Amino acid sequence: MSYEVPRSVVEAFYAVYAARDVDKIAQYLHDEVKWTISGPVDLLPFCGTHYGKAAVIDLVRRQVPQVLRTFSFVAEAILVQGDQAAMLSRQSSRRTEDGRTMSFRVANFMRFRDDKLVENLSLIDSFDAVEQVLGHPLVPPDGVRGDGGDLVAV
Amino acid sequence: MTEPVPRAVVEDFYKALASCDMHALAPYLDDEVAWAISGPADVLPFCGQRRGKSVVLELLNRDIPLLLEKRRLNPETMVIDGDRAAVIGKLTATRSDIGHAISYRIAQFMRFRDGKAIEYTSIIDSFDAVEQVLGHPLARPAGHPAEKDDFISV
Repeated sequence: MSYEVPRSVVEAFYAVYAARDVDKIAQYLHDEVKWTISGPVDLLPFCGTHYGKAAVIDLVRRQVPQVLRTFSFVAEAILVQGDQAAMLSRQSSRRTEDGRTMSFRVANFMRFRDDKLVENLSLIDSFDAVEQVLGHPLVPPDGVRGDGGDLVAV
Repeated sequence: MTEPVPRAVVEDFYKALASCDMHALAPYLDDEVAWAISGPADVLPFCGQRRGKSVVLELLNRDIPLLLEKRRLNPETMVIDGDRAAVIGKLTATRSDIGHAISYRIAQFMRFRDGKAIEYTSIIDSFDAVEQVLGHPLARPAGHPAEKDDFISV
């Protein structure tokens, strides 16, 4: 019979992840966990794919907080089916260098095995996230944005 | 108490959405459906929030094709739980004016009532999507080389 992750495990993991409690997060990570955050690695260095429990712990404990510190992670939806879970959340963080507040939505798609997380894919509104991390619009007013530029007219 | 959505309804809805079959999709849209696509609306005009069946059909059938044609959704994972469904996959299309191939990650969260979609929220890798639609890398701040090799594609 195929494994089905209990909702209680998903919700418990979500709670410790939302709190960014790294020690408790670690208890839910499979040794071979694969954790991917989509986005431009050169602008958001925590994006990319991270392999293994130690790498994911380092990601959550050190790499992400170098850019932003999350103080609120609120679930809008948590779906569980079979060995998978999908979450839609609103993340609020402060930029580490100056404390500026930023907020964006995050989608997480997770797969569990033996009550441990083996795979996570995080999808964020990366354009918005980059602008908030940089603290300014990505496309200058005299560039493409807003004036049509080389975009098609719609 | 919310009524669980049958898998067959979700699959039929998604099949119609994925193949841009508006005649098949229309019966699955609630008259007051709320439709949200994350991303910069001034660069990707189809982003933003819409409400109402006719507005959503116009978005899908007229507005988006002005920018993207041959649009297809390629689901990788579908999670159904209660009255909700979530899908992670890739959107592929070509830019309508010059035929450039476009492909980016998309996460979709739907809520159903009485066999019809009443909420749709999608999170897209909008930075990646914008760069592909523009056809060139977005400008980086000093010290951030805009080398394509720096990007991940997930």
